[in-house]
Amino acid sequence: MEFNKVRELLDRYWDGTSTLEEEEALRSFFSRNIANLPADLKEAQPLFGYFAAEHDIPMPVFPDIEIVVSQTQTPAGPVKQMIWQHWMKYAAMLLVAVGIGYASRQAQTKQTRIMASLSEKDTYDDPEKAFAVTQKALQLLSRNLNKGTAQMQKLAYFNEATEKIKAN
Amino acid sequence: MSLTLFLSQVVPVRQKLYRFAYRLLENEEDAMDVTQDALMKVWQQQERMADLQNMEAWCMRIVRNLALDKLKARKYRRAEELDKAGDMPAQHQPSPYAAAEQQDVMNSVHRIIAALPEKYRTIIQLRDIDGYSYQEIAEILCVEMSEVKINLHRARKTVREQLQKLQVYGV
Repeated sequence: MEFNKVRELLDRYWDGTSTLEEEEALRSFFSRNIANLPADLKEAQPLFGYFAAEHDIPMPVFPDIEIVVSQTQTPAGPVKQMIWQHWMKYAAMLLVAVGIGYASRQAQTKQTRIMASLSEKDTYDDPEKAFAVTQKALQLLSRNLNKGTAQMQKLAYFNEATEKIKAN
Repeated sequence: MSLTLFLSQVVPVRQKLYRFAYRLLENEEDAMDVTQDALMKVWQQQERMADLQNMEAWCMRIVRNLALDKLKARKYRRAEELDKAGDMPAQHQPSPYAAAEQQDVMNSVHRIIAALPEKYRTIIQLRDIDGYSYQEIAEILCVEMSEVKINLHRARKTVREQLQKLQVYGV
């Protein structure tokens, strides 16, 4: 390629208006390592040399992508899987609910049993003692009741007096 | 997308993806990881493949995002010096002195490119090393085509100025 043509392409390159084909032509020109390059063209030579070197970065050995991909599940049908994937969560919730239900039921039964046993249990073992205490309690009740009745008697006098006044 | 389609359309661009990741990360192992992760991501999002106009650009975009994430996460610092003297094919050089000189020039150019802002650097790499069209670069970087052209022009202008300095002053 003539130097003038290269200059023209380089101008377009620096302006950012060159096409991919023109840039490829420049790369190919500078890859030839021409010895007697004019100074203005020499300026771009290291840059294109760098581009060529960078393009040839050595490639590592990649793992077999087919194996890697086949080990990864495809995202098809994710909803179905989701339900089954979380079965343990639901099972745990059910277990906890059953546990709480069972515990509360047990507590209730125990409470009822205690109450029943308490109500059935006698306060005194000796019947005479029990009779005496009961009598004492009834006497106390009677005494207090009589107190109340005595007060009510006073109220009765008032009622009688009111009726007499009304009659007159 | 079937496995056959994946193998025929995505896997062949793996080397380009690796090169792109390598240039961003400057580390073979990380570039390899990012390439594999990108391929897995593509495979997992296979239902989107039908809507895509340019699958290669999409794959490149995924690689770029993953690589930038990795850079951010590991607080990578791009090495100023490129230690790849062993990569140069010695048999093409006329003498050890010329080889060393050539390596120096390559390191200088690498420094110039590495010193560019990330968007300029990526655009110049995608265009001049990988040979992508403006449209493809715009798709990879998710920007307008006009922006790609402007940034490429600015990037090349900066590189040219630096190369001229290098030629005149040797710095």
